[in-house]
Amino acid sequence: MAVINKRFGATDGYITMPDGSEHYIFGWVDLTGIPDSEIFSYRGKAQLLGPLLEAKVGDEVYLTLTNLGMPVRPDLDDSHTIHWHGFPNQIALYDGVPEASISVPVGRDFVYYYKPLDPGTYIYHCHFEPVEHIQMGMVGPLLVRPADYDPDNPAYKTAYGYATGTEFDREYFVFLTELDSAAHHQVAVVQEYDWTEFSPDYWLLNGRSYPDTVKSGADLPEQPFSALVKANSGETVLLRYINLGYQQHSIEILGIPVRIVGQDAVRPLGMNGENLAYWKNCNYFAAGQTLDGIFTAPAPGTYPVLNRDCYKNANAGVTPGGMVSEVQVFTAGTLPPQAGPGQ
Amino acid sequence: MTVNIELWATDGYMSTPDGNSIYIWGFSDAAGKKAQLPGPRIVVTQGDVVSITVNNILPEATSLLFPGQSGVLADTGTGPHLAQPQFDGSGNLVSLTDFADYPGNPDTNPASIKYTFTAGNPGTYLYESGTNPHKQVPMGLYGAIIVRPADYDPAIPTRKTAYGENTGTEFDREYLIVVSEIDPALHSAVEKGTEYKIREFKPRYWTMNGRCAPDTMFADGMGCLPNQPYGAMIMAEPGEKILIRYAGSGIENHPLHLHGNHTRIVAEDGRLLKNGATDLSYKRFTVLTGSGQTYDQIFTWSGLGYSPADPIPTTVPNLRNLGVGDAGWTLWSGSPYLGEKGDIPVGVTSFNGIGEYYFMLHSHEEMQITNWGEFPGGMMSMLAIFPAGTLGDTGIIE
Ligand SMILES: [Cu+2]
Ligand SMILES: [Cu+2]
Repeated sequence: MAVINKRFGATDGYITMPDGSEHYIFGWVDLTGIPDSEIFSYRGKAQLLGPLLEAKVGDEVYLTLTNLGMPVRPDLDDSHTIHWHGFPNQIALYDGVPEASISVPVGRDFVYYYKPLDPGTYIYHCHFEPVEHIQMGMVGPLLVRPADYDPDNPAYKTAYGYATGTEFDREYFVFLTELDSAAHHQVAVVQEYDWTEFSPDYWLLNGRSYPDTVKSGADLPEQPFSALVKANSGETVLLRYINLGYQQHSIEILGIPVRIVGQDAVRPLGMNGENLAYWKNCNYFAAGQTLDGIFTAPAPGTYPVLNRDCYKNANAGVTPGGMVSEVQVFTAGTLPPQAGPGQ
Repeated sequence: MTVNIELWATDGYMSTPDGNSIYIWGFSDAAGKKAQLPGPRIVVTQGDVVSITVNNILPEATSLLFPGQSGVLADTGTGPHLAQPQFDGSGNLVSLTDFADYPGNPDTNPASIKYTFTAGNPGTYLYESGTNPHKQVPMGLYGAIIVRPADYDPAIPTRKTAYGENTGTEFDREYLIVVSEIDPALHSAVEKGTEYKIREFKPRYWTMNGRCAPDTMFADGMGCLPNQPYGAMIMAEPGEKILIRYAGSGIENHPLHLHGNHTRIVAEDGRLLKNGATDLSYKRFTVLTGSGQTYDQIFTWSGLGYSPADPIPTTVPNLRNLGVGDAGWTLWSGSPYLGEKGDIPVGVTSFNGIGEYYFMLHSHEEMQITNWGEFPGGMMSMLAIFPAGTLGDTGIIE
């Protein structure tokens, strides 16, 4: 069991949509290992999604939140928090709800502590004025590996542990959010926004809109999570679906049904242990829910990933765009082993 | 047993925390009383013959549907008959069921109606208008029914259950959360008698038990909320089994997220999740409560054992370096530990009582936790975990 020390900065920044438009965001930046004297150079460098938070059951995670302030909005002295969405038996101090414990003002640090108890796909997000801070981009993926996880032993490279039927060769995120550019603009120019008018014009997979979704991670440094799924034919692929938007979404992969092996970080088991995993073509799920889906890569080819609510496959009304990506399957042996989740 | 309930379909006003007063239609439980939101809670026992009389004093016909109940009878004075959809002379549907007409209708139809059914299954159900439901239900003509299992006995732990002995649904405390939405434009159009197009429905408020946060956290029967009698705060002690009943009485589907732990969903729509011997209950951290659906869940929070003797593994910075009560108030105790109190910065009001923990319960479509765009508000409440042995009989629905 390891001790994991991480430090995330909260700040602002900009993201780009495929039509060239730029959008102001709040978000996270990884400060782990950065000397104190240098952390201020990370102001204004928020990324969407926030950095991956990964731990194993039994690890001890010390996660420092440092509020770097907002260079674009120096008037805005908002605090931030980190809420681990779904953490079992949480105590109020580490739950990140400012009304129920503390928040972190500009220029300050706070250490959150977690000892993960259950494997699965979770989310972290800021819970300070959440309607604004979540939409503005303070969200990230969080995955907990089973205690016996061993990436070098196929029987133990699993989502939920040895002999749970959740072995995989590669894993990817399908992280859903929306972007209401009018809201982001109002925040950037210090104007009020009536959140009941929320009406997104971009729909994002892993913080990107198609065709940026299928570009490599390095192509968009502020949006470092590619949404392209790659596998060799015959390999097992784990998809970690997360919805942290404000809408319900229906995601399908044409030609590839997936076996649902986890929902909200819980295996579908009967109370007497019966394995109730099931197959889906279209995964319809709501804000604040996660799913774990597994498929075996079929014959080499390209398989589109799309939102079946097709109006969401657009960038400010122009198609194709939005929540579209691809599963690319190669001849067995083509791709080297995956370097890490989403790589 | 026969249970006779009398309701009045009437009007009134609801309050929102941002100072709005919104015209509603709804049910009251006494003649001359204003409508309340939601309607009176109806608690009966499986096997009861339930008779509900609706006295209509609204300016249009109204009725009641009982989704999840079978064999509902209607009686407008000519004797009970199977409640049936009503059509006009041209065959157009005018009501999903037999209705009570508005008083003084020249057609001289009765302005009251009695519905009778046998509560066949335990569980959580809605009752709601079946006449112009696109208008009358969002206006507030809805409420919830709890049917207790036939063997229910709150004095015997194995029989204090949602679905009967040996169904795995034992509970210590119980809470009912009915969720809905408010589009003030609809309410004001009905009040003024002007036109409203339901396809333009655009909620500005979202409610739990007819209240918007932070009013959701106030106790039942607050004098300042005379027509919104039900609080939505969940209170429990560590390790207890809490039965939480969600009911979606609005138009939208709401992903309800409870902090602190997963819930175990034991029943949907008043039916136990069981197939023969196979227990199909399941755990979630977010429950998408659809329009018209009900979810019965068992929730337990036991904590991780932190106490001053077994302290948390981090050091809390000086509170001068933290945000506490950014809005001038906090629910925090000032201490990391359950049952302990610490310092709260000067100028901040703490509503914490005895060191209890608060966890948020809210829709994760975050615009729904605002009051007309202003956070905090809307479809949000709290779960409060109190130190063991301090809560007494809070969380008992009579
Ligand atoms: Cu924030
Ligand atoms: Cu929350």
